[in-house]
Amino acid sequence: MSIKRRSVLKGSAAGAVALAGGGLAAPAIAANEPLRIGFLPALTGPSSSTGIGINRGTELAVKEINDAGGISGRKIEMVVRDTQSDATKAVNAIAELTNRQKVAMIWGPLNSGETLAATPLCARANIPMIHPCWVDTLIDVKKYPMSFRSAPTNEQIGEAANHYVMDVLKAKKVAVIGDNAGYATATVAAYVPLLKKKGANVVYEGNVDAANPDLKPELLRMRDGGAEAIMPWSVNAGFLARILNTRAAMGWDVPVVGQTTLGSGQTKALLDKPENWAKVYSNNFKNCCYGSDGKLPAIDAEFRGRIAKANIDMGDTLLWWIACGYDAPRLIAETVKAAGDSPKDIVAYLNKLANWKGVNATLSFTPQQHNGVPDAEVVMCQANSLKDGAFNIAPGYGA
Amino acid sequence: MEAAAPSITAKPARSGLMKHLEGRITFLLLAIAGICLPLFDDSYAGVIATRACIYWILIAGLNLVVGYAGQIAIGWVSLLTLGAYTTAVLTAGTVVPAWSPYIALAISGLVGAVFGVIIGLPALRLRTFYFAMTTLGFATIVTQIALAWRTVTGGGIGIAGPVFDWPFDPGWGFYYFCFILAALCTWMTANIAASRFGRALVAIRDAEVAAEASGVAKPRLLMTIFVFSGAVAGVSGGLFASLQSYITPDAFTFDLSVLFFIAILIGGRGSILGPLLGTIILTVLPEIAAPLVAWSTFLYAALLLLIVLLIPGGIADLLDYRNRRPLEQHREIATRPDLLPRLLERAKTADILALKGIELSFGGVRAIAGLDLEIRPGEVHGLIGPNGSGKTTTLNVISGYYAPQAGTVQLGSAQLPPSVPHARAAHRIARTFQTPRLIGGASVIENVMIGGTIDGACTFGESLITLPRHRRDEKHLREAALLALQTVGLETLAAVRADRLQHSELRFVEIARALMLRPACLLLDEPAAGLSAEEIRRLGALIKAISRAGTAVLLVEHHADLIFDICDRVTVLNLGKVLAAGTPEEIRSHREVVSAYLGA
Amino acid sequence: MLESIVSYGLAVGAVYALIGITYNVMFSASRAFSFTAGMLGMLGGVLGALFIDRLELPVILGLLLVLASGAVLGIVTEFVAVRPVLKSIEQHLYVLSTLAFSLLFAQFTAIEWGTDAAPFPRLIPIGEGIFDQKFWLPMLACAVTVIGLELLYRRTLIGRAFLAIAEDSYAARALGLPEQRLRIASFAIAGMIGALAGFSGGEMLLAYFGNQAILNFYGFVPVALGGMGNNRGALVGGLLLGLFQQAANFLVGGIFASVAVFTVFIIVLLLRPEGFAGASGARRV
Repeated sequence: MSIKRRSVLKGSAAGAVALAGGGLAAPAIAANEPLRIGFLPALTGPSSSTGIGINRGTELAVKEINDAGGISGRKIEMVVRDTQSDATKAVNAIAELTNRQKVAMIWGPLNSGETLAATPLCARANIPMIHPCWVDTLIDVKKYPMSFRSAPTNEQIGEAANHYVMDVLKAKKVAVIGDNAGYATATVAAYVPLLKKKGANVVYEGNVDAANPDLKPELLRMRDGGAEAIMPWSVNAGFLARILNTRAAMGWDVPVVGQTTLGSGQTKALLDKPENWAKVYSNNFKNCCYGSDGKLPAIDAEFRGRIAKANIDMGDTLLWWIACGYDAPRLIAETVKAAGDSPKDIVAYLNKLANWKGVNATLSFTPQQHNGVPDAEVVMCQANSLKDGAFNIAPGYGA
Repeated sequence: MEAAAPSITAKPARSGLMKHLEGRITFLLLAIAGICLPLFDDSYAGVIATRACIYWILIAGLNLVVGYAGQIAIGWVSLLTLGAYTTAVLTAGTVVPAWSPYIALAISGLVGAVFGVIIGLPALRLRTFYFAMTTLGFATIVTQIALAWRTVTGGGIGIAGPVFDWPFDPGWGFYYFCFILAALCTWMTANIAASRFGRALVAIRDAEVAAEASGVAKPRLLMTIFVFSGAVAGVSGGLFASLQSYITPDAFTFDLSVLFFIAILIGGRGSILGPLLGTIILTVLPEIAAPLVAWSTFLYAALLLLIVLLIPGGIADLLDYRNRRPLEQHREIATRPDLLPRLLERAKTADILALKGIELSFGGVRAIAGLDLEIRPGEVHGLIGPNGSGKTTTLNVISGYYAPQAGTVQLGSAQLPPSVPHARAAHRIARTFQTPRLIGGASVIENVMIGGTIDGACTFGESLITLPRHRRDEKHLREAALLALQTVGLETLAAVRADRLQHSELRFVEIARALMLRPACLLLDEPAAGLSAEEIRRLGALIKAISRAGTAVLLVEHHADLIFDICDRVTVLNLGKVLAAGTPEEIRSHREVVSAYLGA
Repeated sequence: MLESIVSYGLAVGAVYALIGITYNVMFSASRAFSFTAGMLGMLGGVLGALFIDRLELPVILGLLLVLASGAVLGIVTEFVAVRPVLKSIEQHLYVLSTLAFSLLFAQFTAIEWGTDAAPFPRLIPIGEGIFDQKFWLPMLACAVTVIGLELLYRRTLIGRAFLAIAEDSYAARALGLPEQRLRIASFAIAGMIGALAGFSGGEMLLAYFGNQAILNFYGFVPVALGGMGNNRGALVGGLLLGLFQQAANFLVGGIFASVAVFTVFIIVLLLRPEGFAGASGARRV
């Protein structure tokens, strides 16, 4: 329990130097230095399937931009830090990227829990950030004027689904179910009032443990309540698959309308029978869906060609994730090219962005509105039409 | 002959912890490094260092529970969660009007203290593994409730953490706040470790039966520790919420619990510096080795396994050079019975210890079938008999470990209640054990000081911040322990780890510990077993001198020569009953005793 | 509703009971509880999915491989995490060594197999609704195990040797019983039982690394209720737990169900630390 003096001195000195090591005077960014962008995906850990998909898109975009000469001769360097779906690691990573790595901008994190923790820290470091997370409270132009969102808000997602259920499928009695992860509990609580405002009769509202293997009691309650549609909100493929399997086992033909993961390859793998995927509709983006003519909109058809050429595996992921990951570096590159890499200029440029054509969505920002995706582009798609990572748009949409 | 200044232990400040000069250097260096960190203007290092300080605040408290008291509380992240949410909710202004973050932090300390007790309570009733399981269960429950109680905690979306204002605003200000609190926790836990409370905790961990015999009341001590640990964990939670700016239930993972736990074990149990270094290492490591991030928990588990199997003492053991110095080979135990009057000066006169009609059965086995025994002050009373005759059982009844089905144990006029072994020390009844029960990892003098636990007057709070009464207690205790060691002839080994001693020396250490109570009645359970002839002779002289100084001595022994040499009275047990009682001469020639036990 | 609770509850209760028995067998052989019981259950499911789904081996072969893997894991556990710390059993280091050992496997599985719950193959294509084989397979496995252990302990010599070691290892050694080899054999048996639990319950619990923590806790409750080393107690405790948990799930919903289970667990333990059928602690002085 005692320490010998000499070894202690050596050890402590080494420790102090190591800690402070990289932080001594940082050189100014010269004109031909690479443009460093911090990227915070969750590549491992429970919520990593989105991150892996988005990462592929991001890597493709960066490669394309750099192959084409970069931004006015400057290459993009994506400094990647895997957050492991852990908010504490996200905070550590933001500190490192903004202070040690001196990035010009942050892309990510990709999970709401991590972004909630990362946003204030990024704001304090005065670095602009853009992220694709859905939790409504993430964007606040007054508190965090440098934070932008390249994805829909939770409210937009919910309204799109609610619109489909009530206005297209004409269902009045609705069952809403989620697991008890962070996203699901918040989402269910937020969407039910929206449904009620539209005049729906919510016959079931509940959050169930994701690990609960038997969902039959829940679905029985829904059926007994006369539900005409089930709306599951969860990112847990196992949970969603169990809902679909139970629905099939009960021989119940009700439509299931809800979270994007309903249409993922992971959910598909967990289904007892492929027929269980019928009448399932999940959130998606107009650009990433096959229209009534069976074809993708031009911009994404072309994008898909490039994905195939780059040999990117689409088997276990979705087009819109890759598209989402692809848009961000491109947007950042264009911004820096047009406005330079100082935080003030980046923010000013983004605040004036109008109808920027991304492969995932068309983005627009104003100084008062940092949620970039327009309502009309959030649509429902048919889950069992999954082909090469994209889906048919759900039946019944007018235009 | 006056006591010469003992050789190795010239410095009275040998405690292995804060007071020790060598250990102090490391703390000082860490303090300097910590204070100077902002000069490097690297906020990334600042965030990591803040995180290390916050974790250390919790781990310092948990260290007392796990490292010192030996309670395997794995799910301690539950207290971090509680502290974080308490502070966040109170400062958010959604449920109650927004409070000042400092007050909220203090309240989360209180909440932590309360829940520390709730989570720790099962430790008093349950076995180790069961208790570990309940702490894991608590951790899950707290997270589930945070998730479910959406109106207060924000449920899955979570809630914003507190923001402290100048001078502790986010950034370096907040870092200093955490650093100051971390330094405070280090100081306080080190103080406790070097106090009678710390020694008692380790005694509970490694020699619980002996701790009880020395008067350590396990329930109260453990609860005190849980209160303290819970409080600092709650505060740590509030600080964590502030560092994260925003908390959701997913942030409080099982991995964090494992991290806290492993930091203590890597550092070494019974040490403050070890777990501190462990915390720093485990916080900094994932940042240095980025590709290892995904494997971090795997590596922590591997590290834990290696430590448990190979170096159970952890870093602290590795750095314990002092205890690697070779000991003198042929050591003698030079007892000094002449020091006894000074050691045993007692205010009141001793009483007769009387057992009347004791009957004790274990299930169907009758261990003691009607026993009357009287042990008078100033006498050495021998208790002999074949194996299984009930000798040690009798001692255990007197000590209060066993409750007899019939009969009473009285000291003077006071009846001693059964099943309360830790109350015996207050009656000045001390004992040694058949197999020496000492704390191997502690030094000899620390082991002896445990014998004087009940003589300490200072409270836990006073020890926490080393108020004068604590210092006085420690000084007196140390002096008395040194004197006791001189009496049994082991003062040269005072600073040595007890597990390095020979068997015979351990027996004398136990006697020194027992003497610390200035016993009215001393129970010795086969103290001569394993001693050489010369050692037995010195032991006999010592025991006789102890009794002549006024103590009533009960000596259970198999060495017939020793018994007949020094005992004034002898009782012979056989099959749980008194076979014969009288003076040594009477017993020696008693026909039945000879045939049942002594032989021709 | 009721049939769901009963069929589901008894089935998952049988899995919990089997894990409880795994704990008990390891405890009887070494006087130490091991955190690896949950790990064995988890790996039973994961390895089953690996062999039958991914490697497309026939079901029987997959089962045999899973049992063999369980036995090997049990033996390795004994060798690495239990035997070295037995000599200092009062220090309770076995809690830490088995915890660390089981965490290694959980993390490795999470990284290599994935953190999502993978599907478990349908083992026997018979049974509909509440009589689906996914419900009665665990119950069958449980019955076979309990009866098998009873026959082993009461009717065979080696079984009685196991009982002797559990009762009093010093005396047993003095009688010449090879304590070490019997302990290794016990751990191998425990490994197989744990793996069987995970395998038979795979269709309900899926192949998921997180099952380790779940089974560690819920598999321990039967031991706490039934008394340490008491297999019949574990059986009853497990089935009751399964029914209680399903009823709670149905009545109050997921989150509060686990709070309910845990509260009952704590209260029972505090009132009767040795369980309903267990014996009080032994002499410690």
